[in-house]
Amino acid sequence: MEKNIDDHSNTFPHKDEENNTNANNTPHSLSPKTEENAKEAKSDGENEKANDLDHVKGEPEEGDKEEKENEDVLTFEVTPETPPPNLEKVSEDIDQFLATPHENNNNNVSDNEEKIPEFVDKFLDLVEEKMARYKSCEKKWGETVEEDSSFLEDVNRVSKLMKLLSIMLTEFQSREEKEEEKEGEEEKKGEEENEKEKEKEKEKEKELQEKHAKKDNSILFNRVDAIQQRAMSYLEEEFHLLMEESRVENKPEPNGAHDSKGKNVATPESSENEPIETPMDFPGFKDEAITNLNKIAREMLFAGYDSECCHVYIVSRKHSFGDGLHKLGYERISIDEVQRMQWESLEREIPTWINTFKECATVWFPGERKLVASIFSEDPSMADTLYTNLTRVVVFQLLNFAESVAMAKRAAEKLFKSLDMYETLRDTIPNLEKLFPKDIVDEIKAEMTSAKNRLGEVAVLIFCELENSIKNDNGKTPVAGGAIHPLTRYIINYLRLSCEYKDTLEEVFREHSKIERSDSTSRPRYENENQHSNEKENESPFTGQLTRVMELLDTNLEGKAKLYKEVPLSCIFMMNNGRYIVQKIKSSTEFYQVMGETWYRKRSTELRTYHKNYQIETWGKILNCLSPKGLNDNNGKVPKPALKERFKTFNTLFDEIHKTQSTWVMHDEQLKSELRVSISSLVIPAYRSFLGRFSQYLDPGRQTEKYIKFQAEDIETYIDELFDGNPNHGTMARRRA
Amino acid sequence: MPPTTENQQSSFLGRISIRRNQVMSMDGSNDQEQEDLELFQKHVGDRFSDLLSSTTEDPSSDALLSIGWIRKLLDELLCCEAEFKAVVMMGRDPAQICKPPLDRLLPDLLDRVVKALDVCNAVTLGIDAVRNLQRLAEIAVAALEPRPMGDGQVRRAKKALNSLVTAMMHEDKECGSSKGTERSRSFGRRGNAGKDRGGGSFRSLSWTMARNWSAAKQIHAMSSNLAAPRGAEATGLASPLYIMSTILVFVMWTLAAAIPCQERNGLGSHLPFPRQLAWAQPMIGLQDKIAEEWKKKEKKGTVGLLEEMQKMEKVGQWLIDFAESFQFPGETERLDEVKVHVEELADICRKMDEGLEPLQLQIREVFHRLVRTRTEFLHVLDQAGKLSAPTV
Repeated sequence: MEKNIDDHSNTFPHKDEENNTNANNTPHSLSPKTEENAKEAKSDGENEKANDLDHVKGEPEEGDKEEKENEDVLTFEVTPETPPPNLEKVSEDIDQFLATPHENNNNNVSDNEEKIPEFVDKFLDLVEEKMARYKSCEKKWGETVEEDSSFLEDVNRVSKLMKLLSIMLTEFQSREEKEEEKEGEEEKKGEEENEKEKEKEKEKEKELQEKHAKKDNSILFNRVDAIQQRAMSYLEEEFHLLMEESRVENKPEPNGAHDSKGKNVATPESSENEPIETPMDFPGFKDEAITNLNKIAREMLFAGYDSECCHVYIVSRKHSFGDGLHKLGYERISIDEVQRMQWESLEREIPTWINTFKECATVWFPGERKLVASIFSEDPSMADTLYTNLTRVVVFQLLNFAESVAMAKRAAEKLFKSLDMYETLRDTIPNLEKLFPKDIVDEIKAEMTSAKNRLGEVAVLIFCELENSIKNDNGKTPVAGGAIHPLTRYIINYLRLSCEYKDTLEEVFREHSKIERSDSTSRPRYENENQHSNEKENESPFTGQLTRVMELLDTNLEGKAKLYKEVPLSCIFMMNNGRYIVQKIKSSTEFYQVMGETWYRKRSTELRTYHKNYQIETWGKILNCLSPKGLNDNNGKVPKPALKERFKTFNTLFDEIHKTQSTWVMHDEQLKSELRVSISSLVIPAYRSFLGRFSQYLDPGRQTEKYIKFQAEDIETYIDELFDGNPNHGTMARRRA
Repeated sequence: MPPTTENQQSSFLGRISIRRNQVMSMDGSNDQEQEDLELFQKHVGDRFSDLLSSTTEDPSSDALLSIGWIRKLLDELLCCEAEFKAVVMMGRDPAQICKPPLDRLLPDLLDRVVKALDVCNAVTLGIDAVRNLQRLAEIAVAALEPRPMGDGQVRRAKKALNSLVTAMMHEDKECGSSKGTERSRSFGRRGNAGKDRGGGSFRSLSWTMARNWSAAKQIHAMSSNLAAPRGAEATGLASPLYIMSTILVFVMWTLAAAIPCQERNGLGSHLPFPRQLAWAQPMIGLQDKIAEEWKKKEKKGTVGLLEEMQKMEKVGQWLIDFAESFQFPGETERLDEVKVHVEELADICRKMDEGLEPLQLQIREVFHRLVRTRTEFLHVLDQAGKLSAPTV
């Protein structure tokens, strides 16, 4: 701050000095000091122009005289008595001068109005001086807000002057042309009348004056033009720097709090408000910077330098977006490459893409739009165009990845990631109206919808291909022990996961299952479809497809069950797989909802049937052994050989069952124990009562030992060993010994 | 989306599909099909010979490689593509498409389609960058149009034109090494900001494709296994597949030559077109012309063959020379000359302004059409696969 005050104190007396010297000179001459400054300010090819100005200096005295003569007519006044003008005073005068209406009544222009007051030159001197200080970095942009604003105000005055001068010069031109015409006509008429001659003389005099004035004005015009260009060039550079610095600042700083501008930041708290590398920070411009950019943009637009401003803006933001995407880990992959990538690597890119896409749609684009709107607040349509040019490319590139994923070879495992992408697009589409200007919404929406639809179509196709993978699974080797088939696990888990995407899949199926794609250009024929599907109206196509898959799985499993030679084992197989399916469905709310209660009940009943069938198939013969039927002859005597045979058969059968069925598998613990309990409750009481009733008929000792190999407790133990999938339970006799 | 394309195509499609149906139901004799194939070849030849002759015979029509001409080229591509599909796919039994040699040729074509999609995208990005050049040219027009012409405006124009010409010259130098992007990324500090203001090279004006992606390599890959069918194949469906592939390669090559896009070194090498086939003659003629231009370009090191860009560069250079010698208020004669040049530049800008966006949209249309066609062919292949596979 102190430095600025110094600046001022240096400036003012210095200016006064100039004005004093100017008072003695012709108003047009530059004070040596300013001239020096002006020269300094001129870079490279500028010097020629300085020479021009030097050359010009001495000439326009005539014009000056006129100016002085006419001063009273002018609506403003520069009186020598007033304190020598500093920039502020001159600026006021300029403002007043500019505020005065300058529209001329075309033909009837009073000379006075074309005269440019002398303080204009003074003003320009001062502006040049100021600009030189900025350019030489003696003063930096952003150091003091007031200085910057006053500079911008000066620039604004320059622009206005420029406009005024070019209007004047054009009018002059056209008037001149008209007069030339008139002259020509008059010459034709001849020079008979003296009066006219006189008049003509007068006119010529006037013309001469005008010509001087014109020359004068055009020299001034050129000066203003050059000053304006230099000012604009400087502002453009500052604009560029501000754009870039804000971008750089948004990057993590290795030195922490160090301000990359290297300037005194007026508001120190703003750096605290700027948590580094938070995505929410996008686009990361400080309010101060935005205000500054807006001010500069306003002046550049006003001066007609809008294209420069836009160019700098768009190039800078383009790089910024590129950096941002890079930072998010998003990498552009060509469509060709996506087709060649292994799914494992492609799969990793998808969450990054989704993240990037969402980031763009929710943070970056709104942020960008706000930024461009605040910087170019003077011209909303220009802001929209800039925003559109920038974001459109980003959107298209992102969508290309979605398209290329949709194009990649279909595979079941791609379903869920495709649906994730689908959902991302679907959820963004309703917000497009808010995100994009009107004239581009349709185009972007069409593109996004197309990518979304393609992903949706792919999802439908992949899901429908499940049918094929079931149909094609027709191996002839049964799974050992009647265990759960891998196909069951795969399909059911896949379906279960699909049900987590139930709503999306239903939507996708509603929209795309009708698409008839075998014919080239034709899209769905809804009418026909509708007639057909009227009866199925309340069933969603997804549920229908899912049910179809489940039915196919059932059929397939039934076929697989037939591969077992033993009927009870195929029952166990069906129970295992059925149980697995039922349990999986029950533990997922969505899956359960899709399949419905009726279906679930039916499946549970089926399970019980298999259970029953198993019991009958396995234990029926055993129970027959234990039946008292046939062991009583009419006298109430028990035929011993028959009894012995019964015991022998039972022992062999039970041993056999134990031997084989302990290698069988029942995955579900609950079902296993239910099964064992039900077997026990079937066999043990029967055996117990058989023993109780008939063991007495055997001779105690050797005979009993030979025929009664199991006590009721033993039976229970062995039953508990069934379905463990353990071949080591093996023969029980050895262990008993 | 020119309505003419749609009309032509739909009538042709309609005719073929009706005929095909009749033929099929009559237990297809091959004659009808042969006729279709010949018709397709003839149409392709006609379309491209129109494109060729329009550049030589009719000076009032769009010049070779101008925006207007490229749009015509894309129109023809779309038409050919629609006819191709009609000939090869419509109403045909999928099993026919899967028989050798089509089982090999069709996937090759679909692979070319994928590569063409990337070229489309690269060119779209290129057009975006050309728009930036247009903006620079517009600055020059805005500066040099009004009279009187002051030193400031002349300097302004010079600055913009210098950026324009530099950007046009520097493509190949900066391109290729990834340093190009690094460098443009790192500018921004006060020290070096002056040098690269607004992006010195064309690269820094444009978005990049995937790393290591190269237009030249892609196009080379598209054409590498392109061989004209011989013997018995030459009369079968292999022929339209080959024609379509050739068209695709040629159009993509032309696009990449006309509009700057990532990595084009080696694009000048000749495409392997068959000199002996009648339908290919106009394409060969065009290729020779464009390759000639490309050679000149490589010598000069400028960015694109797009006619408007070449003109822009020429006029830009002239105006820079003028700007360097300009002294206020300038000589009337010289100023009149400037006026002519500025008008020309304004005219180019107007053409770009009117043409680039529709061109971009049209390329997008090509993109979508190719995607759709690929999907449809895959679907047919799928169906055929299901039919032939010994499923339960």
